[in-house]
Order: sequence, then C-alpha cells, then structure tokens
Amino acid sequence: MIEEVRELAGRWLESGRVDAVLGLRELDGRVAPHLFTDTGELDGLVLSPDYPVVYTCGQRRKTVPRLLERENPGGKIGVVARGCDERALIELAKRNQLSLEKIEIIGVSCTREEAESCGCSRPYPTNLAVGEAVEGVSVDEDVEALLGMSLEERREFWRREFSKCMKCYGCRNACPLCFCEDCQLEQEQWVDVGHVPPEIPMFHFIRFYHLADRCIECGECERACPVDIPLLTIHRLLRRDVKELFDYEAGRDAEHESPLITTLDEAPMEER
Amino acid sequence: MTGFEPRIVGFLCNWCSYAGADLAGVSRFQYPPNLRVVRVMCSGRVAPEAVVKALYYGADGVLILGCHIGDCHYLTGNHQAMKRVAVLGRLLSYLGVDPRRVRLDWVSASEGGRFAQIVTEFTEEIRTLGPCALGEGGP
Repeated sequence: MIEEVRELAGRWLESGRVDAVLGLRELDGRVAPHLFTDTGELDGLVLSPDYPVVYTCGQRRKTVPRLLERENPGGKIGVVARGCDERALIELAKRNQLSLEKIEIIGVSCTREEAESCGCSRPYPTNLAVGEAVEGVSVDEDVEALLGMSLEERREFWRREFSKCMKCYGCRNACPLCFCEDCQLEQEQWVDVGHVPPEIPMFHFIRFYHLADRCIECGECERACPVDIPLLTIHRLLRRDVKELFDYEAGRDAEHESPLITTLDEAPMEER
Repeated sequence: MTGFEPRIVGFLCNWCSYAGADLAGVSRFQYPPNLRVVRVMCSGRVAPEAVVKALYYGADGVLILGCHIGDCHYLTGNHQAMKRVAVLGRLLSYLGVDPRRVRLDWVSASEGGRFAQIVTEFTEEIRTLGPCALGEGGP
C-alpha cells in the first residue's frame, strides 16, 4: 500500500500536478510530517504511526498551507490524507483557514485494525486513491458506559477525570480544528489562572462546546492527554447530537455551513 | 431540603424580554423573587460559557429570555440562541447537569403576564430539582 502512495506522489510531483506533497517521513528512525518536493525523498514517505498529517495544516500557529502560499502563491500541495485528515481539511477550508483549491488529496484508507484502535466510524476519505474502504466501528464502549450512568454518576465520573487535569493545553494544541489566535481558555474571565486542576468543568466545557460543530473525531486530544482523560467520549456524543439536531457532520462536505452560525432557515429545528 | 431557595440567573434581551419584565412590574404581576436579571442586548449574545459560569458560581438555574422567532431586533439572534441552547443542553447532560436547569423562552415587550408565569414555573421547577452545586462554591 505504501508503495502505491509513493508512486502516486512521485507521479504527481513529476507531472507538476502538485508542487509538493505533505506526508509523514521516517528519518533516522523517527517519524514526522514533511513537505516532499523532490521525488528522490519519497522513499522516506511512510503512513504509520497513524498520526494525522493534517495536524500540521490546522495547527494554531504557522500552518503548512499558509507557509506554502507565502513562498509559492498559486502553488498546489498534495496531502496524504486518511479519513480524519480529509474531514479536517474540509472543515478548515470552510472556516477560511486554508483553500481546498490549493490542495490535492491523496486519500488513503485505514485498515480494520487501525479503525478499531481509533474507534473510528469512518476510516476512509471520500477521495479514496489507495487502499479499500473498510467498515467503521459503530459502537464505542466509553460512550455506552457514559450513557448508562445517572446524572449524579456522570458528574462524579467527570469530577474524578477532570481533577487529573494539569492544564497542559495538550488537547487544545493537538486539535487540528483549534485555530483561534485568541483562545478563550487563556482568558482570565473564563478560566481562572493559577489553578491546577482548572475549574471543573469550565475549562473542559469550553473546549467541548467550541468543538461541538467542528470535531472530526480524529482523537488527537485524547491521544495527547498525558493523564488519559477520555475526552473523545463527549466529542463523539456531541458530533452525534449535532447530526441528529441539524443533520450536520463536520468535514462531510464543503458546502454546508455549520448550523451554529446560520439561521433557522438554513438548518431548521423543531420549535419547542 | 428545607429552606432551599433557588438562585436563578436570568439573561433578558434588551428589546423584548427586559421590557416584558418591566411591564410585569408596572402591571403589578406577582412572581417569585428568586430571579437575578442580567440585561443583554440579545439572546444571541448569551454565550454558553456564561451559562455554565453562572451555574459554576452558585446559580441553580439559568433562564434565557429573548424575542419571539421572527421578532428579533437583530433579525436572527434568537435563531442562534435556540440552536446553541439545544447543543448546550445535551452537553450539560453528559457532564451530569440536568438540562432542565437551563431554559430558553420567548417573551415579547407586551407579555408581562407571560413573563411572570415563566418565572413562576421555572422557579418551581428548579425548587423540585434542588441545588445545582456545580462548582465548589464561588466568590
């Protein structure tokens, strides 16, 4: 599978279809995102670990597409993208963080094992170029466990989990969809400074709510968390709710606007 | 739970609901004194963070009142409030807070009676739900 990706990337680079390819590179035993511009380098292109490449596109600081645009306006980059990467790219484009016209997606499917380890419900991109789409995971144990609890049990559960938080901001920094330059989590009026753990549940509530219509379920927040707070549980539930309430899924397509920034005419809901 | 008096924070929109509350007062409608009113320019102005912050600092319920759909001074501010509160309610329930503690409703400037009725109903509902105690107690 990796051979096919390398070959496709090489073909696109040679034909000038793209000026560079963004993917993971293994160098001296370490894997990190890299912008491949030379076909000779492509031997180093790898797919694993299943680290979303898009991390480098959506990060809060200087993103790869923006850097590329500054150095090479009008240039195009190919992005080796799994399902979650593609959803993130689409959602970021919709929120004016990058332009899909400057991106060519090299869609790669995940294996069933990878999908299971992520608990991913859609482990393949729409523009699938390499590999075969496998069925996603439909039931998440953490979600089911939370739904089975009473309100008091849920509150106690989260109090226990959130009290482990050391406010490292890893969940925010790892999120491909967190791109605000002025982050509410750093504003004293919302999150008190100098307290560890941060006020329960304010800190986490703000993250959950802000990502309700953005989260593409890549799971990077949970993977980044050094104290293993099951953050994805609530993100999965909210994604499900936003779909149920407004028929909207972040990253599904580039046309539909987020329901939380449109009027009822565009995303109607039942009058109570 | 003897002697429990609910503390309720109300976010009232400047154009309809605040005037509706004013009318309730002028018309001498009786309603419980548990509501603390915050006047905001629009129900769409009420950030969900502010609602949770109110609960964190000791409110037992939050009442958001705005203009009826179609009557918003800013045309669609209340549309957004409605969508936000729907998502907020789900999120609160996952975190272990009863979503009934947050209520969004519409009161026009001429509905003083409706204002009094909503505040009475909501206060009674919160009274049966009991104290919220979301935070460890604030300042």
